[in-house]
Amino acid sequence: MNELAPADAAAFSALAGCLRAMPGREPSAGLTDRILSAVDTERGLDRRRFLMPSPWWGTLAASLIAALSLIAVYQQRTRAPASEQPDGAAWLAASQEPDGTWSPTKHGGAEAYRPALTALSALALDRAPGGFAPQIQRACDALAALQGADGAFGGEGRARLYNHAITTFALATLCPKHPALKPALERALAYVSAQQTAQGGWDYEPRSEGNAAVTTWQVRALACAEAQGFEAAKTPLRKGLRWLRGAARDDGSIAYHRASTACSDSLTALAAYALITAGKAFPGLPELGRHAAGSLSAAPEKAAVADCYRDYAKVLAFESSGAAARAETVRRQMLAQQKAAQPDQWESVGGKLYTTALTALASR
Amino acid sequence: MTWHAQLTDLDDATLMFRVRDGDDRDAFAVLVKRHQKMLLNFFARSGVQYDYEDLVQQTFLRLYRYRERYVATAKFTTFVFLLARQVWIDELRRRKRHERLVDGLAAEPPPEHVAPTAAEATASGGMDLERALAALPEGLREVVELGVYQDLPYAEVAEILGIPVGTVKSRMFNALAKMRTFLEKK
Repeated sequence: MNELAPADAAAFSALAGCLRAMPGREPSAGLTDRILSAVDTERGLDRRRFLMPSPWWGTLAASLIAALSLIAVYQQRTRAPASEQPDGAAWLAASQEPDGTWSPTKHGGAEAYRPALTALSALALDRAPGGFAPQIQRACDALAALQGADGAFGGEGRARLYNHAITTFALATLCPKHPALKPALERALAYVSAQQTAQGGWDYEPRSEGNAAVTTWQVRALACAEAQGFEAAKTPLRKGLRWLRGAARDDGSIAYHRASTACSDSLTALAAYALITAGKAFPGLPELGRHAAGSLSAAPEKAAVADCYRDYAKVLAFESSGAAARAETVRRQMLAQQKAAQPDQWESVGGKLYTTALTALASR
Repeated sequence: MTWHAQLTDLDDATLMFRVRDGDDRDAFAVLVKRHQKMLLNFFARSGVQYDYEDLVQQTFLRLYRYRERYVATAKFTTFVFLLARQVWIDELRRRKRHERLVDGLAAEPPPEHVAPTAAEATASGGMDLERALAALPEGLREVVELGVYQDLPYAEVAEILGIPVGTVKSRMFNALAKMRTFLEKK
């Protein structure tokens, strides 16, 4: 840089000045809290490690765990069906708040996602065999009560659209058994439609035509409602699927923004599932979804931190594309991670509610 | 509030010593608030499209885990950027489709200019600059990120990237030349 001609130096200096003058992004309002919450979790792990330094403690703990396991096995054999769920459904049922919601902060998650976590927990109980009807009814009532005058279910920034999509999906899934949800679902569908961009996607960032992460959830919700005859879902669903088709790349992966190169297994898997199932009435979309699912690996990840969101999405993608064995591989991995209480990268967002609900949903 | 106000007056190293020696949560909170935006933009300009806040969180988690290894031989921001860069490299490794970029971090950048796409060619104003930056090979882009955006001296950039100061200079020259060419072609 020191040997530059004066003209070049001036041009480079001007360019550097322009770069410095470009506005930067602002952190979201909850970022500091999320970071500190994650550090608090880490601090808790440190303390647990500190409290168990001696082999004697380890032996004692192992004995205690063995004894508790025996008791648990005995209880599983002798108690009502609700306690027989090995995938956390019983734990979810026991963790429900009196008002019918699930409290994220009690289980290491972020309060902003209470609607979505309540919706996922209710779906997990709905999928579990028998015994949870009262809890599901309370959850349905709570979800309807969380809806605002504009039809949305709350939260700010990125939480708002995720809350809305996941809760709308839950309402659409539960509506046949709980017809009282119909008015809430209709208002929710109107909000989904109102938030759709002209290009057919959804995003929480201004000036964006949509991102695949939130669009796949909205498409799932719309497809579920459309399958039950909600006319309001038809047009936004078609536009949403068209957006997803535009996000697919030649190698099968799905881009976060249609023009971007950023892809992930989670996005690819969720979009694959949406294209195969929600797009079954549209020529070419299921094939595109199967191509996307085929680009994914079922091999266990070696990372120390699990990713329940990615694995849940992979199970959906593999199941819907007919790769049942691959789905089973990922499903077994998820259950093993849950059994080993392996840390999950989404814990600071959704806490144990999220990992338990997604593992339960993936297991059936 | 008084205690918090006092903490915010402390410099980074002193706050980090409090975290290291006393696991001081309030001190760590001040560090997070002070540097999260800097890291957020570091990751956002690295090409991360959507989960840059997660990478910021991972960086601070790593900072917390490494607190006992912190010594004030370098600027605190150098230490943080070293961690952030490692988080970014780990993230690239995790994404199998980005292995090519990981290799690019260790190697000298190729001389060829990455041609803008048709979409890039239609951009204008600040978007042009963003796209010109995004079109740079990773090895060049991170030099611009640290040397221009973060305004770090070459010696510090060299320390963070683990390359000689002369290489930092040549990469900076190449990066700005490529960006200039990119913008002139429009």
